[in-house]
Amino acid sequence: MLTALIVLPVAAAIVVALVPSKRREIHLPLGIALSAIPLALAGYLFWVFQPDAAYQQVERAIWYEPWGISWYIGVDGISLPMVILTALLVPISLAASTSITNRTKEFVVYTLFLEAGLIGAFLAVDLFLFFVFFEAILIPMYFIIGIWGGERRIYAAVKFFIYTAFGSALMLAAIIALAASHTAEFGFTSFALTDLVNVDLTTGAERWLFAAFAIAFAIKVPLFPFHTWLPDAHVEAPTAGSVLLAAVLLKLGTYGLLRFNLGLFPDASVDAVPIMATLAVIGIIYGAVVAIVQPDLKKLVAYSSVSHLGFIVLGTFALTSGGLQGAVIQNLNHGLTTGALFLLVGMLYDRRHTKRIADFGGLQKVMPVLAGFFLFMAFASIGLPGLNGFVGEFLVLIGSFPTLPGFVIAAATGVVLAAIYLLWAYERVFTGLPDKEENSILTDLSPREIGLLAPLAALIVVIGLYPGFLLDRITPSTEAVLDHIVDQTDFVIPEPGRVDDVLVAGDSS
Amino acid sequence: MIATPEISWIAIAPDLLLALGAAVVLLVDVQWKPPARVLGWVVGVTLALAIGFAVLQWFQAHDAMVAGDSTTRLAFSGLIVMDGFAVFARLALLAATALGVMAGWRLVVSLGRRGAEALALILLATAGFSLMVASNNLIMLFLGLEVGSIALYVLAGLSRERPESDEAAIKYFLLGSFASAMFVYGVALIYAGTRQFEILEIRGFLGNFIVTDPAVIYIGIGLVIAGLGFKVSAAPFHAWAPDVYQGAPAGLVGYMAAVAKVAGFAAIARVLMTAVGDLDLTWLPVVAGISALSMLLGSVLALVQGDLRRLLAYSGVAHAGFIMTGVVGGAFDAILVYLAVYAIQLVGSFAVVAVVNGPDGAGSAITDYRGLSRRSPVLAASFTVLLLGMGGLPLTSGFIAKFGVFTEAWAGGYQWLVIVAVVASVIAFAFYIRVIVVMYMDESIDGVELSLGPARWVLAVAVGTTIVWGIFPTSLLELAADALPL
Repeated sequence: MLTALIVLPVAAAIVVALVPSKRREIHLPLGIALSAIPLALAGYLFWVFQPDAAYQQVERAIWYEPWGISWYIGVDGISLPMVILTALLVPISLAASTSITNRTKEFVVYTLFLEAGLIGAFLAVDLFLFFVFFEAILIPMYFIIGIWGGERRIYAAVKFFIYTAFGSALMLAAIIALAASHTAEFGFTSFALTDLVNVDLTTGAERWLFAAFAIAFAIKVPLFPFHTWLPDAHVEAPTAGSVLLAAVLLKLGTYGLLRFNLGLFPDASVDAVPIMATLAVIGIIYGAVVAIVQPDLKKLVAYSSVSHLGFIVLGTFALTSGGLQGAVIQNLNHGLTTGALFLLVGMLYDRRHTKRIADFGGLQKVMPVLAGFFLFMAFASIGLPGLNGFVGEFLVLIGSFPTLPGFVIAAATGVVLAAIYLLWAYERVFTGLPDKEENSILTDLSPREIGLLAPLAALIVVIGLYPGFLLDRITPSTEAVLDHIVDQTDFVIPEPGRVDDVLVAGDSS
Repeated sequence: MIATPEISWIAIAPDLLLALGAAVVLLVDVQWKPPARVLGWVVGVTLALAIGFAVLQWFQAHDAMVAGDSTTRLAFSGLIVMDGFAVFARLALLAATALGVMAGWRLVVSLGRRGAEALALILLATAGFSLMVASNNLIMLFLGLEVGSIALYVLAGLSRERPESDEAAIKYFLLGSFASAMFVYGVALIYAGTRQFEILEIRGFLGNFIVTDPAVIYIGIGLVIAGLGFKVSAAPFHAWAPDVYQGAPAGLVGYMAAVAKVAGFAAIARVLMTAVGDLDLTWLPVVAGISALSMLLGSVLALVQGDLRRLLAYSGVAHAGFIMTGVVGGAFDAILVYLAVYAIQLVGSFAVVAVVNGPDGAGSAITDYRGLSRRSPVLAASFTVLLLGMGGLPLTSGFIAKFGVFTEAWAGGYQWLVIVAVVASVIAFAFYIRVIVVMYMDESIDGVELSLGPARWVLAVAVGTTIVWGIFPTSLLELAADALPL
């Protein structure tokens, strides 16, 4: 079934590619319809998923025996939310791309290839396979930014590509090194994550490998100071590109940190906590502060991603149950809310052909529905209780406090800053009187556009009110990660709320 | 009385056929002045027969290997070796030749009466290189090298009317002769040190005796590395490559570069890893240094080229460095895989150049490729796959090839070289991507309608193997794993 999740988008892409170029009007609807099949399958996967730590629905086929590589895929509580999110956002972002009239067929094909690569990367249990998907994603995304992007699209696309390729080159070297160590220790080569976790590494080697993986993922997240490609890529990308980039592609970074860095290098992870937490908090505050002063609405949302993803990294490296749960659930939440915010910015841009905040004003009067959705998503992003952002950020902050109290206090300002930049942006764009003539003639959302936003809004409310149905599925896997770290290192998870012990433990590390 | 060596026709059948084919092409042309199509058939039949015999050789060599029988794989009193390594390299050469003829077919037709010369020279060059990869004797190896190289010098200057072509030929000839001279001198010094020309005998000598004063052999090895390094355009012996790639007729450059690389690296592998493999402590650091220098210099210089052919030339320098990581890792099979993959992609890429810039055009400014995706979607898409393949993106054969050599080098203890290699791969991406940007994202320029001609088959094979071997590498890797040298 998991193979089908990866193959179906590829098959859909081929079907769309075979439709003659002259029949332009059917490429997009066909793509949307075909991408609904993986979505249905992902929904079914969620339904049959057992709340259990191990990989499920595992499929394994030898790819090339002497190298020990295999088509080894499986799903657990950490990857499940990301698979669902990808399958959900692809049809939505395709449906939001009606403004793309130039080379529609290629656009649909690239988006579907992107979907296959993303789902593959989240499902891969073999590191070689993961790397293949991780890299393969670059090509469709590169084309999506470079062909359908804004004015500086080529610069942004190349920057995106080179940055990420650099990170993954380091990771490739680390993967080779890890597999070589496995061969030396066990006498056979394997790239399977389940085998590689058993490799005994010297402290020095483990730190180097941790660093190589961490840099690759930090570029993807992006963590400060590797974030400079992100605003360019986001601002120039078309709406669908921005949505998928922010909602899913960046999550490969946070997902990778949790899955591979914590899983493969427990000792180095524990040692790296201060560094990673510091970078995360810098990202949270820096992203938020920069977002406040952005004159461009899309750039504002882009920098808000830098800030929000900092929370996820903080939660990951807090190494507590709550922190990890929060990180996983926030992976999903950020995808939903930021995806929706990018959709809204795209809808504004389609009508007004500008993203500059100063060009707007008083839109509440002319397009109340859009304004309502924007405010709703902004609240979700800020973390208003009852909406999903609250669940995730609250878990991260509460969960991280026992191990990283100082960092949590600093990070909490990020929540306040989020309220400032989002609500201030809302005020400037939507409130007041529509004093500019161009703004007063804009039309409100069409039923189609509402249809795109409604499922996201519904999920946001459901997760906000009843996160249990997700946490039940996530928790066994995050606990397993934590148990592994406790087994392999002398790290002790502190009791929640007992801050003094923790401070001592924190000092000793 | 000197004993007559036993003649093993099968061991030289492909080479003999190629030489024969070249003679037939010239004679038929002189006698009947047929249309180019007829000559094309002669070449096609020659190549098909040669490939057939090479496949036959493969099975014989394989059987001999399984039986553990080394004598049936040596022929002509040990001058020629018919092991899996030689046959695999020969098959790669023949494949590159077949594709090269198709890619250069337009040129052959446009040359008129001189087209026969081009075809004959191509067959002769391949015959020489094919002999070279199967040599078990350094003199034999040199003969093959010269037969092949001299044919290539002439091919580079085939369009006499264009001064760039003349310049390319002269440059290639002068520097190439110099490199050959160095190689011979190196062979002489190795002989002086070991009293042997035969590769296996040299290995035996070095394995059994401790050379008290090995300086002569060291200098010999150094000169051999320099001479062969020139042929494969490894830095710092690469200076000829950009000018030759740019000046020689577009239709033939891919073929010329591909066969020179395959034969050159097969010889490097055989001489270094087999003949003087016991002295690897002396030459490994040198080869690693050349490898690192080639990768970095090639990638960085390719970044700033405005001409696609110069770009591909510098990328070829980088690829020479990548393949040398396999030499450092001591893996015959990884080298063969890389050579096969790269040779086909190289011929395919120059087939694109020949279509876009004309079979005999001088230079190929990257700006000529603006908006190619709209003028010819097939051409642009194929070129994209080939460029990404040469860049080594996963799911292309280029990744499998790179992964193979890198892993071997890492296991061989040259971790720093692998790190240099991955960094160079990223830099390489930057310039391959630049070409793709130009093809897909720049405004289209008006140009004549591009028709592919026989190049379509070249592209079909090159793109097909790039993708199929990228996803299902097992067949290629297993084949190469069986292609062990004696």
